[in-house]
Amino acid sequence: MKTFDRRLLIVTGKGGTGKTTVTAALGLAHARRGLRTLLVECNGTRRLGPLLGGEPSTYAPQRVDENLFTLSITSDEAIEDFIIKQIKIRALYTMVFKNRIMGPFMDAVPGLHDAVHLGKVYELAEEDFTNGSPTWDRIIVDAPATGHGLHILNAPRAMMELTRRGPIFKNAKLVHDLTSNTSQTGIVMTCLPEAMPVSETLALHSSLIESGYSVTAVVLNEMIAAPLPDPLGWPPVREMLQASNMEETTHLVDRFYARQQRQHDAQKTLQETIQAPVLPLPLLMDSPFDRESIQTLAGQLDAAMEPE
Amino acid sequence: MNAQVIVCCGSGGVGKTTTSAALAVRWATEGDRVCVLTIDPAKRLADSLGLADIGGQPTVIPLPNAPGQCDAVMLDVQETFEGLIRTFSASEASASRILENRYFQFASTRLGGVHEYMAAEKVRELATIGHYDTIIVDTPPTRNALDFLEAPERMAELMNGSVMRWLSSTSKTGGWKAFELGGEAITRVLQTLVGDNTIGDIAQFFDLFRELWDGFQSRSLEVQAMLRDETTRFLLVSSPSSAARTEALFFLDQLRNKSMPFGGFLVNRVEGPVPFEKSLLPTNGPGDWATVASQIEELHATQSDLVAIHERSIDSLASAGPPNTPIWRIPHQGTPVNSIASLTALAEFLPSRNEI
Repeated sequence: MKTFDRRLLIVTGKGGTGKTTVTAALGLAHARRGLRTLLVECNGTRRLGPLLGGEPSTYAPQRVDENLFTLSITSDEAIEDFIIKQIKIRALYTMVFKNRIMGPFMDAVPGLHDAVHLGKVYELAEEDFTNGSPTWDRIIVDAPATGHGLHILNAPRAMMELTRRGPIFKNAKLVHDLTSNTSQTGIVMTCLPEAMPVSETLALHSSLIESGYSVTAVVLNEMIAAPLPDPLGWPPVREMLQASNMEETTHLVDRFYARQQRQHDAQKTLQETIQAPVLPLPLLMDSPFDRESIQTLAGQLDAAMEPE
Repeated sequence: MNAQVIVCCGSGGVGKTTTSAALAVRWATEGDRVCVLTIDPAKRLADSLGLADIGGQPTVIPLPNAPGQCDAVMLDVQETFEGLIRTFSASEASASRILENRYFQFASTRLGGVHEYMAAEKVRELATIGHYDTIIVDTPPTRNALDFLEAPERMAELMNGSVMRWLSSTSKTGGWKAFELGGEAITRVLQTLVGDNTIGDIAQFFDLFRELWDGFQSRSLEVQAMLRDETTRFLLVSSPSSAARTEALFFLDQLRNKSMPFGGFLVNRVEGPVPFEKSLLPTNGPGDWATVASQIEELHATQSDLVAIHERSIDSLASAGPPNTPIWRIPHQGTPVNSIASLTALAEFLPSRNEI
């Protein structure tokens, strides 16, 4: 099956490895191919809109470009949304849940805030136009980092185990059926070319596989293509530079060699362990880092995608 | 006297765990008795200290020449929760009943949020045992760390009782009617949503939990007071990447809104300028010298680009913080920080005890 050919793509990885950037770039790449694409932010983050040159996302989809929309889930809105759909009467919801007593209780129900995220995503994935064609060809979720991301991804199963029946159970099962269907849902992991992020990526990868998810690609961010001298010819040059009082230059070059080695090791380790393509993306020196930067990365991802 | 609490916050991937550990090393070297608590689910502290396994109890980090003491603890959520329940239960039998309740087992092992509750409790425990001058807390990535700040408060609100009392009364009467404000409606809604069994489990849990209310509530007030103590400091750990900066600024806002005492920024992995005197570069050299010389020049240019990006990023942190916000720059180490020696090297760039 083709790399990104899934209706639902969930981007996750260790914090600071570029999940939001990759989500935006994947979004642009898919929208450019004419696919109606919705990018989803979690926990009320609102970074994707501005990153793509648009307005901060809201709970309703906002258009940022041709075929490209963003949406931001807050668990409060999603909980309200879900409960009102179940009990059908807004006044009842307000009476039961929007008071001084139930409010804190709902906040304290462990897992509820996690569970409603994928619940909302499921609903979006099921949305149709009146002619029956799906509203969204692609939904790409910018999921939280490792630990919290796993909580959200495991929430449907956790809720099924907690409730065992009733509407929450049924809903959680529908969500679980979608996300564990490997032809419908794929995980895109992000990583940096350093030892610690790589080992955490491998740990996260096994947790994801254990939870029944399928990893469809690993994006290796911030690769520097430094113009390094041929390593075989370096030692004599190094000696000469040291003799010319250019100690700092030799250190700099050594550090870039070391970095290149780490990049190489990272890519190799990921490729050996994970049964999915590893896609390197360059570190961009752009300032500001904006829509144009995202476009550059989208171009790179597009090249790694299948021909149209 | 209680230990001073230093909370290191920031988004994931900025080296928070490593920085917290290095700060502990530094202060122990200065004579402090320090304990560093990591509440991050990933076992990163263990990696950075070169220790295979740090359990829920303090483990000594050997620092031969330090006049102080440096311990490390990895939060064990379940152990902490069970400890609390045993402390406040009237008897071992009632503690066991709670520990065996299906909802408790579920809540304490599988779900988010509980983690933060227990982290705050562990900090309190370590700060009050009298062994330490300072507790340094490594927190989960940004948005979870907010939960960490709010957990004790939420706990207090929840323990405030109305809902708990109501829920527990339902398990007794089975009639679901002890609630004045639309009790029947609530019952119907909850039953519809999660089913009878679950409500039964939850109700039983809260019923058993009732005898622990007072204990839990006074605990959570204590924790709140500790986090707001005038000696407590929140340090924001960041890196020069734009994502980390955005998150650090977001967190700074939250600290302001909650009037939490902010102690400054620690910026990791900063690239510094590398001087390059082009005229010193020999005109002739081994191999294809023209190419090698231009590559060397280009590497310096790449480095300058990196430095410029990092400086701009740090400037924007500085201008977002309160006037004269201290910023500590920690140079990129080039090699992974995964030994006590490398932590000690890193510690050199961190604030000294009397600077916080």
